Amino acid sequence: MPVVNFLIYLLIMIGIYALLALSLNFQVGFTGLINFGQVAFFAVGAYTSCLLVCKAGIPIVLGFLCGMILSGLFGYLISIPTRSLKADYWAIVTLAGGEIVRLIAVNEGWLTEGSFGVMRIPQPLKHLLSKGTYPLFYLVLVAACVVFMYFVLRLLINSPFGRNLKAIRDAEELCLSLGKNTRKLKMEAMIVAGAVAGLAGALFAHYITYISPENFQPIETFLMWAMIIVGGRGNHAGAILGAVVIQVFNVSTRFIVRYVPLGPDVVAPLRMVIIGLLIVAFLLFKPEGLVKEKKKIYELKDNQAGEL
Amino acid sequence: MLDIKNLQKNFGNLRALDGVSLIVESESITGLIGPNGSGKTTLFNVVSGFYPKDGGEITFKGERIDGLTPDEIAKRGLCRTFQIAKAPEKLTVLENMLLAANGQRGENPISALFKRRLVSKQEKENLGRATELLTMLQLTHLRNEFAGNLSGGQKKLLSLGRMLMRNPDLILLDEPTAGVNPTLANDLLEMIRRLQKELQKAFLIVEHNMKVVANLCEKVFVLNFGKVLAEGTPEEIQQNEQVLKAYLGGT
Repeated sequence: MPVVNFLIYLLIMIGIYALLALSLNFQVGFTGLINFGQVAFFAVGAYTSCLLVCKAGIPIVLGFLCGMILSGLFGYLISIPTRSLKADYWAIVTLAGGEIVRLIAVNEGWLTEGSFGVMRIPQPLKHLLSKGTYPLFYLVLVAACVVFMYFVLRLLINSPFGRNLKAIRDAEELCLSLGKNTRKLKMEAMIVAGAVAGLAGALFAHYITYISPENFQPIETFLMWAMIIVGGRGNHAGAILGAVVIQVFNVSTRFIVRYVPLGPDVVAPLRMVIIGLLIVAFLLFKPEGLVKEKKKIYELKDNQAGEL
Repeated sequence: MLDIKNLQKNFGNLRALDGVSLIVESESITGLIGPNGSGKTTLFNVVSGFYPKDGGEITFKGERIDGLTPDEIAKRGLCRTFQIAKAPEKLTVLENMLLAANGQRGENPISALFKRRLVSKQEKENLGRATELLTMLQLTHLRNEFAGNLSGGQKKLLSLGRMLMRNPDLILLDEPTAGVNPTLANDLLEMIRRLQKELQKAFLIVEHNMKVVANLCEKVFVLNFGKVLAEGTPEEIQQNEQVLKAYLGGT
């Protein structure tokens, strides 16, 4: 059943990237923080969890948790030097942050196994399930994480906290004049987004069972951006939909190689060219993405409606 | 209430504020006039913490506020509006009002997730107040419109609405009636007067319309080239020759 196995693999990768897109969307779409180093959260979550599990021998559940916490902490760290920067400079610093994390993973071999990567990462509950049902279990686990995070982020965005974030995105000076501590709010947003992306990293590491710095190239950030541009910024459902569209394309085209008269050395870069063109097309013709930002409507009772 | 002493602000070689001293008494409406480029908005920006000062002292309710960040100053009860009204465009008019409410519990992510009942109770109370204020500002029909779709004048009204929601002690208004239709502008001025009388609010208002200033303000300061050119009651100002020359066209 190679088709079923492939489908499960595809769905799991969609789920993991959906978390990354939700996290990026939380920063870019809702708070207006242009993060070009989103992959760093992914890497921190992945490395933290698998290294703690492999080297310190802690339970996998705790590994996941530590991955989220450290990734959130990394979000906090990133927001310290950037706190008074405007969006474009924020983008540059985060881009550098992403590369720094990858280079640490390459060079600090004593900790991260360098470019050889971490191998034989244990999988949660592996011994309890048969080889055939395990991928299905993992799919359910990933799906549950996506659904859970979707609701958490939605709850946050619909709260006064989320309203403040949107207001920072649209009019930061106004927020200051209303007594909002925008630096603190941005910091909190980065911690939340970091934790969500860290969870994606941990899920990824324990699914693939082998990670190396190669998995965390800047091109991954590009893919996550493609997801939120296609799906629509400022909407959780849009981020997930974007992850579906881009991942289906990205993963399935790997198998097209066999059927097209082009070598794999042409097809792989061509994929990125096509995603790039897709981004440009969306920005030009459908800048709001597939799903628009929703308006929050308060229903008023008749006696509250006032004169119309 | 607000006491500014010898305030300095330079932009390179330009002395935007060159030793401005100014007092706003509590429960008063004070006017600030002056030709374009005389430093009125710069003064607002320095007082509200958006620009750092280059010298002088600012005291608000007996406390030094120079050196504080804009949000800290706003929290102490001194709020400002902007000359070109700002509004988060993807928040509705009603959400804009709620945004300004004081002491919201749900503003940090932990309580937003774990104290939802308290947060939603408070939201309901704020919603009631916001709705009342919108009725007063005649913006009720726009309550579910994105603020980005409002006209400039409507955004001005909304900024005043947010101020009322926020309920500070001193409000700095930067040209509150610019772009607002005359009838509504009159209502707006009436509202400012009422707020001062009934709720004992103090205002510092930048306004170009001399009639409005004469009508509204007890005291007026005139800025010119970053200096206080004159101060006094509206009558005194209107008869001051220097002011007439600098500002009112000079006859």
